[in-house]
Order: sequence, then structure tokens, then C-alpha cells
Amino acid sequence: MNSPNDPGQAPAERLPHRLYDADGNPTKDRPWIFRTYAGHSSAAASNALYRKNLAAGQTGLSVAFDLPTQTGYSSDHPLALPEVGKVGVPINTIDDMHQLFEGIPLAEMNTSMTINATAMWLLALYIGVARERGEDVRKLQGTTQNDIIKEYLARGTYIFPPEASLRLIAEMYEYCLDNLPKWNASNICSYHLQEAGATPVQELAFALANAIGVLDTIRERGVVPADRFPEVVGRISFFVNSGIRFIEEMCKMRAFVELWDEITRDRYGVTDPKLRLFRYGVQVNSLGLTEQQPENNAWRILIEALGVTLSRKARCRALQLPAWNEALSLPRPWDQQWSLRLQQILAYETDLLEYPDIFDGSVVIESKVEELKRQAREEIARIEAMGGIRAAVESGYLKSQLVRSMSERVSKINSGELVIVGVNRWTDGLPSPLLTGEDGGIFKVDEAETRRTLEALAAVKAKRDPARVQAALKALEAAARSGANLMEPSIECALARVTTGEWADTLRGVFGEYRPPTGVEGQRLYVDSDRVAEVRRRAEEFVRRTGHRPRIVVGKPGLDGHSNGAEVIAVAARHCGFDVVYSGIRLTPEEIVQSAVEEAADVVGLSILSGSHLDLTRQVIEGLRAAGAGDSIPVIVGGIIPRDDHEALRALGVRQVFTPADFDLADVMSRIMDVVEEQAGVRAR
Amino acid sequence: MTAPALDELIAGAVALEKWPLARLVRLFEDARPEAVPGKAAAIAALETHGALPRAMVAGFTGTPGSGKSTLVGELAARMVARDPAISVAVLAIDPSSYRSGGSILGDRTRVHFPIGERRLYFRSQPSDRELGGIGRATYPVVRVLERLFDYVFVETVGIGQSEVEVERLADRVYLVLQPLGGDHIQFMKAGIMEVPHAFILNKCDVGAAARRSYHALRASIDFARPGEASPPPIFRTSALSGEGLDDVLADLVAHRTLRDAAGRRERDRYFFEKWVRDEYGRFGLDLLERQGGAEGLLARAATFEAAQAAYRPPVAPPG
Repeated sequence: MNSPNDPGQAPAERLPHRLYDADGNPTKDRPWIFRTYAGHSSAAASNALYRKNLAAGQTGLSVAFDLPTQTGYSSDHPLALPEVGKVGVPINTIDDMHQLFEGIPLAEMNTSMTINATAMWLLALYIGVARERGEDVRKLQGTTQNDIIKEYLARGTYIFPPEASLRLIAEMYEYCLDNLPKWNASNICSYHLQEAGATPVQELAFALANAIGVLDTIRERGVVPADRFPEVVGRISFFVNSGIRFIEEMCKMRAFVELWDEITRDRYGVTDPKLRLFRYGVQVNSLGLTEQQPENNAWRILIEALGVTLSRKARCRALQLPAWNEALSLPRPWDQQWSLRLQQILAYETDLLEYPDIFDGSVVIESKVEELKRQAREEIARIEAMGGIRAAVESGYLKSQLVRSMSERVSKINSGELVIVGVNRWTDGLPSPLLTGEDGGIFKVDEAETRRTLEALAAVKAKRDPARVQAALKALEAAARSGANLMEPSIECALARVTTGEWADTLRGVFGEYRPPTGVEGQRLYVDSDRVAEVRRRAEEFVRRTGHRPRIVVGKPGLDGHSNGAEVIAVAARHCGFDVVYSGIRLTPEEIVQSAVEEAADVVGLSILSGSHLDLTRQVIEGLRAAGAGDSIPVIVGGIIPRDDHEALRALGVRQVFTPADFDLADVMSRIMDVVEEQAGVRAR
Repeated sequence: MTAPALDELIAGAVALEKWPLARLVRLFEDARPEAVPGKAAAIAALETHGALPRAMVAGFTGTPGSGKSTLVGELAARMVARDPAISVAVLAIDPSSYRSGGSILGDRTRVHFPIGERRLYFRSQPSDRELGGIGRATYPVVRVLERLFDYVFVETVGIGQSEVEVERLADRVYLVLQPLGGDHIQFMKAGIMEVPHAFILNKCDVGAAARRSYHALRASIDFARPGEASPPPIFRTSALSGEGLDDVLADLVAHRTLRDAAGRRERDRYFFEKWVRDEYGRFGLDLLERQGGAEGLLARAATFEAAQAAYRPPVAPPG
């Protein structure tokens, strides 16, 4: 990390607190790339949003895709329908991709796509658009997230088993090396690990072990010649989370930089320091954003942005900030603009970019960084001893570690040891005027946009050349079986106007689908034992009165894969004496109904974070009714449920609604027990 | 339950409607003494509806991590998919927490089952703090399911002790193993080689390790069970890719021999004594002897449940 102002190189007249350029003139740094994670409703609506954001001074794009696109279903698939356009933009064919980037020159843009299992497909579509427009494909710049490990661990939008998934990632690196030299084929993404509860040490260790896993895979394949392998190392980029403990977060970033330098030098023998740089983008923490007194989140976001910008040596390359109301709903355009302004003020109004690293020489910071590095090295060694990141995922080790950290966090919030302003301290506040506007301060997806997406899909299917589609899919399947690189066959699929679902189904047919170990094994809870004992006592009384243990079916309908909330409830329920049928993620409402009915559940708990709670809940309740169990099995719902929808859910027959505000697990379990007792007509108290 | 309500429940269950069936199973999971008359009445009603025992009961046991859940689920789904006349019930048992009594019944996460297929029924069951791999409700529930389905697959907790109980319960026992390091001593140490009728080496998608393990297992069986006329088969499967599953299905079909009357009597006697011991302890067993023993009670009663109803327990039942 040599720069002209490093001590020792500086001529006598240079001042250590100034930045100088190569000619010795005082200078300041260029700002990082300003992005906003955005996309919703339809390709056309998202395109309009991007153009607005770019005009407002945003300097890069960060595309949010909807869950069907992320999990390889076209919008017209039954599992997809309730989720189309909800948490991101739906992309079915190359024509949607054309629409999404209309009026935006690809060769001049830096585009980050939060896409994983279908990353190869979305990159193929992006390349396809550039080719059809006649733009220079070699100039494409940006990142496909493409980190499958954290999907298995935290985010849940995986499709294929690990071996096939890692092959897709490796093939993208191999393809990009010559064809898209400025593209980050994947992005080691510790962001979601922190969201899932990871401590700074876990975030460091798991992300670095993950990067090692990707690089080892590519090296073992032997496709990239040894002398070019350092270039692959140089393309590894990271996507990191920044939490509210901003001193520690800043130290974490410095530890990342130093450990990565060490690993690339010692493990991979990379001599060029440029190829050893820890390049990373950031989305600051959404986990800590609160539904209560949501305006406080504006301050949290600012402080979290400092953690990844203050230290010049560990400053991010690109930053995207959530909106203050993200715990309530998708942000409105104005909310995104407000977040962008924060970045602009930080970069342009303050003097942040005028100084060299302001923490060099700090004894405190150095000691903290060394401690994080030491602990992370120990954890990496443990993972290596297990056989590396893939073995540590498959054995469930990483997942159980994360779930344990999350449980500890939740119990510290419960006990008040971890202060969250407005949540467990100073909870009485004045009503926020930010929430009193006509729209209630939240964003609603226009349902009519879904129809437009479906019509566009039908139109493409009607006009495309079926013979070319069939030939392209055949070639894709053949390559998948033979082990040939899948990029070119995927680009041909894109150009032939194959759909997202067709591409993914073809590969599902070859690779199979992954069913992961859940985080419910080995999880421990740290909740108030007196109140748990009380719920347990009620459970035992229930057994005496009814002849069976209270039985809850916990399920996640739809495509949203954030399973940790459901898993915490599953474990808490067992802890309180319930028999818990945990049926995992990505289920249709019919599957959950079947579980509940076959298992004679006393209550069904649905966890829904995607915004589709009304649709999905209605389908479950109707399904129970159709099976004859409608009057017998009550339904409760948890997730990100806007207050306005609570009444609508209750009108459907939902007996309890839980939101992130219900963080007290003993209270949650007690309320679930109320429902169960009431249904069975037994009262323990 | 009133007689008409019971009759409606039984009619629904016999038609394999899921909700009546689930409620009927719940009735048989109820271990309270006051539930015994209801169970006896339900069994009698099943017999009136012509629902006599007909299923082959297959036990699947094996160590955690061997992929049992996925395997059993896949076998059941394939069994009903390939023969429209066949019905299968799966009873999957998971351990209960000793501290809270609760459990996580996670076996449903492993397989996507067809929706609304009446010929396939999946039920989870907690072990209810029992050792032995099956819970105290397992036998009562099997007695219902074997009257309604052609096959009953029982998947046990698989902690090493379970094999004895499963052997009593099932007509055929499969021990599911995963490829080990290739050392047959490891199989020997498991100490569970004598019981199973057949072995399933699952996760054979892992290649060389699976081949080595197959030969190590073969050697271990020969060593542990010398002088057996026909050595037990070893099936190599991969629940992920589907490899080898048809061979196991063929084995199940080939061994669909119903227990003879003597076998059924012996099974009833064993589980009757177990029931008395579990519920009333040693004193209860003494009383059982004075009432003619399990065999005597079972011989005088029409069914197992009727014998339970006829048994006079030591004191007012606990609870």
C-alpha cells in the first residue's frame, strides 16, 4: 500500500498530515462509488428509478433482483407469482434486461448485481445486452455477487448443491479473465453473515476462509495457467457489513486488509502488491435498524458509514446505505435520496478525503486490530482443519456458530446488556412526523406492474424462435454434463430469449437441488429462565390435559430464504417444551398446509419477510380450511409486517402477528402458548 | 368421542383423508391411561371397516448424518410414484430434549413430497425422552398405520441402542451407513452388525471412498456374522442422485411377507410388557403376572388395545 505520502519516501518539505499526488502536489482522494441498492416492481419502473438516482449524483448502480429471479423461476411459475417485483426487479429474458438499462451506457457504468445462484445467467444477459447494442463487452465493469456459501449459511437463495455451485463460480472467473477483465465474477460477501449474527471475528474468518475456498477451487481445476493465477487473486472482491460499534468495525476493516495481504502473499505467492489489495464494497448494517422510533436509524446509518470510510488504508471502494425506514418497508425514492445525500456530504463537504490514514501509529487501534487478526487466524485454522469452507458448511458447523451468535445477541437485547435506543431503553418517544405523510412513510409496490411483467414474458415467448431456444437449451445441458464452460452456452441462451426459469430448470435437471443442514441443530438460547420455566410448566399441563405435547409447525412460505428468524422461533419453542415440526424454507403454501394437517399441528407459525405476507397467509388459511382443519389449526405470522397490515391479517383469521419489535422470546412463546391453549380449550392459569 | 363422531373419523381415515388420519394418529399417541378405551374403540371400528393389518413394516436405522431422512423420504415418494396401487406411511422419529421435553422434528425438511397424494402419509414423532430409538407412541401408531397402508417405514433416532426395539417392531430392518474412511474396524466398532436384514451404504455419490467402504463393510459383515448361509445384501445408494434406490425398493417388494399369527402374538406380547413396564414399573409387571401375564390377557381380549383396557393397574393412574 505504498503511496507518495508514506513516511520515508516523502521529501523533507512534505507534511505527514497532507496527501500528495505523484508529482508531489497536494491533493485529495477521489470519493468512493456512491450506490443505492434498488430495484422493484418491473424492469421499466426500476429503470426510471436508476435514471433518477444517477441524475441525483449516484455514481454506480446496485441492482436488487426479486426472489424468483434469484432462485431461478420465471415470473409465471406458481412459486414465483406472489413474489414478483416485491424485493427487487423481475428479470425473465434479455428483453427485460434491455428495458432495465435503457438509456444507461453499460460500458460507462459500474454495476453491482446482488445475484448468486443465477449469477451466471444474469451476467450472460448483461453481456447479451451489450452485444446486441454493439457496446464493447471488454469494458463492462462491475460485480456479480455470486457468493453461494453465504446463501447456504444466511440468505437462502441457493439452487444447486455446493459442487455445482462452485463450478459455476469458477467458470465465471475463468471466462472473465480474458473476456471481461474488469468484472468481479464474484464477491465474497460477509455482509449477510453479520446480518445472521456473526461477530467481527466470525465475519473476518468466514469471509476469508470462503475466499480461500473459491481460489483453491479455481487453482485445483487447473484451467487458469499458473502464471496468470495472480490475476484471478486480484479479481477477488469483498462485500462487507458495517455495524454500529464503529471503532471495532473500522478495526475489522484494517484487519481484513492486513490478513488478505498476508494470505495472498503466503498462500498464493502473489508478488504484485496491487493484486493483493483488499477491494471491498459496503452496505451498512440493516439488522440494527429498528422499527421503533425509525427516525433514529438515520443516525445509525451515518455512524456506520464512518466505520468504513474513516481509515484511509481500509476505506471501501463503493458504499451503499440503507434508508432510515428499511425496517418498515422498501424505501421510497425520497428515502433513497436522503441516504445518498449523506454520502455526498461526507465525501464533499467534510475534509475526510484530504488526509492520509489518521489511525497510523495509534496504539489502541493497532492492538485491537492485532487481537481481531489473531482470533480470526485461529478460526480460519479450525475451518481448514475441518477440510475447508465447504466441509464446514456441509457439516452444519458454520450455521450453528452463526445461530449461536445470533441467540447470544438476542438474549443480550432481552437482558438489556445490549442497549438499543428506542427498543429496550428510552422506549417512550413522541410520534414521528416522518410517518404521518399520505403514504404513511412507507412504499407500496404497484400490483399492476406484475401484470405488465407477465405480459412482457408472454410476448417474448410468442415472438422468439422456438428452434433456436431448443438448440440453446440442449447445448447448455450438454455443456453442463460434459464439464465444458457454461458461459458461452448461457450467452447463447440469453440471445435466443430463453427465460430465467428455463435456464435454471435445465441446470437443475443436471445438477439437482440442494437441501441444506438447518441451523436448528446445536443452537442454544439465552433467555430469561423463570419465564421459560413458566411456559414449560404450561406445556406440561397441556400434555396432562390433552394427552399430547403442544405441536407447532414452523414454515417459511415463498422464496425468501432468510431462515434465521424461523429457526430462532423453532429452537425457542423446543426449549419451552413444544414439539416443533420445522419444515424449512422455500415452501409453497400447499406444502405447509400438508405438513400442518399430516402432523396434526396445534398451531402453524409462518415467517415471512418478503412483503408477500397477505397473499401467502391467505393461501395457507384457505388450504387448511379445504383440508377440513380450518377451525382446528390456528395460524400465527411473524416477519416484517407493516402495522397497517396487522388488521388485514387478523381479518384473515391470523391469531397473533409478530414483528421485529417482538424481540423478547419468552414473551413470544408465552403468546403462542396462549393461542394453543385457547384453541384446545385448556387454560393452565 | 361419540360413536357417530368416531365412525366418521374412521371412515375418513380409511379413505386416507389426511386430517381424519392425523387426528386418529394423535389419539394413538396419547399415552394417558384414560385414552385406552378410546383406542380400543377405534381399533374395533377399524376392524368393522375392514381395515385389518396388512402392511409390511420396514425399519430404517443408522447413525445421524447417514442421510436416512432423505433416503426414506425418497424411497416412499418413489414407491407411490411407480405403482398407483401402493400406499406408504412414513413414521420418522426424532429425539426429544431431556431438559424441556420438547423436540425439533426436522425430517420433513429433507424431501419435497407430492401435494395431496393420499397414498403417501408422513408423520413425525418425538422419542419422548425414551432410549431405544423409538418412542412409547411408536408401536400404538404403527398398529393403526399398518391397517391403512401397504408399507409402513419407521425411521428411528439411530443412536446405537435402537436396533433391538426396531427388530421387534419391523418385519425387515435396514441399517443405513455412510461411507467411512475405509477402515472396517470402524464398522465393527459400531457394534450393530448382527441385527439388520440388509445394509444400505448411502451417499455413494462420493466416489472412491464409497467403493472402499463397500468392501470394508462386506468384510466386517463376514467377520461379525460367520456361517450365515446367505449373507445380507448391501445396497449402494445416493438419495441425491437417485442411484441404487430402485434396488432397495425391489428388496422391499420382494420381502413383503406378512407376519404370521405367531409372530404377531410375540410382537404384541413384547410391546404389552414394555407398555406395562413403562407406565407402571416393576410393580405393574408383578400385577400383570397375577392377571395371567401378557399372553393371558392378549389371548382373552380381541385386540392389543382391548387387552390394555382389561389390564388392572396398581393404583389410580399417575397424573
